[in-house]
Amino acid sequence: MTNLLSVKNLSISVPSAKGRVSVVDNVSFEIPAGKKIGMVGESGSGKSLTAYALMRLIKSPVSIDGGEIFLNGREILGLSSKEFRLLRGNEISMIYQDPMSALNPIMRVGQQIIESIQLHSSVSKSVARKAAIDLLASVGIPEPESRIDSYPFEMSGGMLQRVVIAIALSGEPKVLIADEATTALDVTTQDRVLTLIDKLAAERNLSVLLITHDLGVAAQFSDDIMVMYAGKLVENGSVEQIFSNPAHPYTKALLDSRCDYTIDVNKPIKSIAGQPPRPDNRPSGCVFSPRCAHAEPKCSASVPPLTSSQGRLTACFRSDELFQVGAVN
Amino acid sequence: MSTELKVVASASGISRIFRGGSNEVRALDDVSFSLHEGKTLALVGESGSGKTTAARILLGLDTPSAGSVEVLGQTLGTLKHEEMRLLRREIQVVQQDPFSQLNRRHSVQRIIEGPLLAFNIGDKESRKKKVIELLEAVGLEKEHLRRRPHELSGGQCQRVAIARALALDPKIVVLDEAVSALDVSVRAQVLNLLRKLQQERGLTYFFITHDLGVAHYMADEVAVMFRGRIVERGTREDVFENSQHHYTIGLLASVPLANPQAVKSNKEQVQTLPSPEDGDACLYRTRCAVGMNRPDCKSTTLTLTKGTATHSWLCHSPQGS
Amino acid sequence: MRFKMRFSLSGLIVLAIVGITLAAPLISPYDPYAIDGAEPFLGPSLTHLMGTDDLGRDLFSRILYGGRITILIALAATIIALIIGTLWGMIAGVQRGWVDEILMRTADATMAIPQILFALVCVSAVGSSVFSLPIIAGLLLSPTTARMARTAVVVELASDYVVAAKATGLKKSRLIMTEVLPNIAPQLLVQLSINAAAAVMMEASLSFIGLGIQPPDASWGTLMLQGYGNLWNTSWFVFFPALVVTITILAFNSYGERIRVSLDSRKSSK
Repeated sequence: MTNLLSVKNLSISVPSAKGRVSVVDNVSFEIPAGKKIGMVGESGSGKSLTAYALMRLIKSPVSIDGGEIFLNGREILGLSSKEFRLLRGNEISMIYQDPMSALNPIMRVGQQIIESIQLHSSVSKSVARKAAIDLLASVGIPEPESRIDSYPFEMSGGMLQRVVIAIALSGEPKVLIADEATTALDVTTQDRVLTLIDKLAAERNLSVLLITHDLGVAAQFSDDIMVMYAGKLVENGSVEQIFSNPAHPYTKALLDSRCDYTIDVNKPIKSIAGQPPRPDNRPSGCVFSPRCAHAEPKCSASVPPLTSSQGRLTACFRSDELFQVGAVN
Repeated sequence: MSTELKVVASASGISRIFRGGSNEVRALDDVSFSLHEGKTLALVGESGSGKTTAARILLGLDTPSAGSVEVLGQTLGTLKHEEMRLLRREIQVVQQDPFSQLNRRHSVQRIIEGPLLAFNIGDKESRKKKVIELLEAVGLEKEHLRRRPHELSGGQCQRVAIARALALDPKIVVLDEAVSALDVSVRAQVLNLLRKLQQERGLTYFFITHDLGVAHYMADEVAVMFRGRIVERGTREDVFENSQHHYTIGLLASVPLANPQAVKSNKEQVQTLPSPEDGDACLYRTRCAVGMNRPDCKSTTLTLTKGTATHSWLCHSPQGS
Repeated sequence: MRFKMRFSLSGLIVLAIVGITLAAPLISPYDPYAIDGAEPFLGPSLTHLMGTDDLGRDLFSRILYGGRITILIALAATIIALIIGTLWGMIAGVQRGWVDEILMRTADATMAIPQILFALVCVSAVGSSVFSLPIIAGLLLSPTTARMARTAVVVELASDYVVAAKATGLKKSRLIMTEVLPNIAPQLLVQLSINAAAAVMMEASLSFIGLGIQPPDASWGTLMLQGYGNLWNTSWFVFFPALVVTITILAFNSYGERIRVSLDSRKSSK
């Protein structure tokens, strides 16, 4: 299997009162063709900025300090914006949390899809319109022939997100990034939209990077999971490994602190003490060490590298040892 | 809920109709519920189901178009201005947005002191003592007193809002999506805190949420809302383990669980579902896998079925039938 | 939301103009009314920085004293506009309904009349003096202030913290004074600065057409009028008062703009 997308040592920083501080720190990962990858993390973990970097949407004052991103073997951070424009939409596309802000409120949705189609291929208006209707049908919008002439305000949130997906797919990309794309939706709508993305990914052999704070969404959707914490990729493994046998104490603690309707209500939820560190106040050594129940002096002395452990990648000095005694899994 | 428990607040048959030009929206349609002392009633539903309207009515911030609300034996709407103001001491609120519910110009101390000032309680010294006591009760420290909301994290702001809600030692706290904006690990802390405070202070919670997991963890009794109506109500066990209404079942099936082995039941629902038709008594019929094809569900009458002493539902052909 | 005072050129100029003009008697090198001494229409020199007028009075001193009158009138007008306008807008925003309707339609109607025309009518009715001018200018500026105050109050009243305050049982009057007012204060400050600029403009305009401050007292407007009358004798005469008026208006306006921008950026960063 070839790696469609590969990120090497990506670092992103923002300005603060204490000078530039790192918000994404030396993150590397790969997305093979046709795989669905879930990236989970709490707010401020750097997961959205990573997605923005993949779309080259990082704007001043935020800046990419280092690293490389290869899309289909081609490095994209070094491309001119003109060169990258040819890839955006055709090779890689993104859907966002708020569909309303991704659409032009005063333009019919069909027109927006048609424009997007014509941007990627030189076809006549009538051909593009037909393609747009097909796209709307494929994203599960009933009566696409009449819905194509609706305005965004005439549609519900779930429908709008489908339109946004249609636009994202109009250039037939190979990679789709979904940044909290179902977070604003009701749970029943979320279920349908996720099922739709799943179906489209299978049909079109898409690689999907799903960015979410919702562990359940990630677990149900993904083949592989990446866990981000305070700008670091702390664990990367298969969905079974991460959810059934985590090897990083943060992953374990995050799973323990979830509150879904299958947990035991007679015990307090095992929450993580304290809160994620702010970018301008990151601890030395392992970023999770101040909140970690298993931290040792070495954990705050140096930064644990992301290494292979228990068949997946973790950034923890003690993961092997903890895994063996069953402290984390 | 067992009948020995004292009812501290109740709504009977409340409706709320919003009129805008020619169309009217029934945000609440004949909704009844009771809050039992020291217990939690969770009102769950998706956006637009009317749960926030119910909270506003209970808080006296909105008035029902029909029906009545009783809080601590007094009927809202019949009270004089000052009587209502005094009653407000007993029922406080924590809202969703950690930041915007706190006055951005005030310090944490001033925010928590606010309710005490509103009722001219105590002198400067005793108020400060009370504020520090509250601050410690919600897990914050003295050093936070001088901070402003923007200098705090979301979880800390939510703790400040909880402290403020407790300042007047109320009987009832309305928690309107109070943990929805928080991250997983912080949400767990705040939920545990809320449970601890409830036990220590005998608080009654009216917990409004769209998150079934949170409702499951917090509630003694659960009411599921759909399009302005309570479609199923019962104890936590009734609703989560013995769901009768197909909407409840569908809702539970839609929740993605953080367990890749969990089997999902309704994978086929890719199509967007149609809206209810005129004359349908059951507003869920057109979306309901069962009701869609059953002629007896297309009826103009629908009454609440009382299955057990605690469990009731609004459905022509419930799961157990 | 703490108010961070960063260095601002416009703020500094505003402060300097107000300070210097109010301290005119301490600074000015000559008696502005003294006719004797120098010759008329002297050009700018080291002895007379801005030259002398048709009666040989030192123009620099007259501009300092004139500025004192202009600035005092402007500040008084601004304060009057702030008080009337804020009350007007807040009552409308808090009461809503027909009270709001009447108050705001009145504001719209007043704003539709050209200010100078309105001022002319008022001046001819009550005469012009250092007492009547601030009141007239203040009244004229209050409808825009009212509009702004109403919008700000309506926005604040819809926010979550107000819901929380209502739910705690806070009385409405106290809610407005202790919760809402501090939050709209920065916006009122913006309006204050813009009003000050408008008041300077209004005073200068009225005096320029001879309806404002009457000789021998002088404001920047009267000095401009005087200079305009002697435009063919001395071109620099009209230049100096016009210049200070322009600088003052620009400084007040850009200072207001600066506060507004810093408020907006703070809001969007949240």
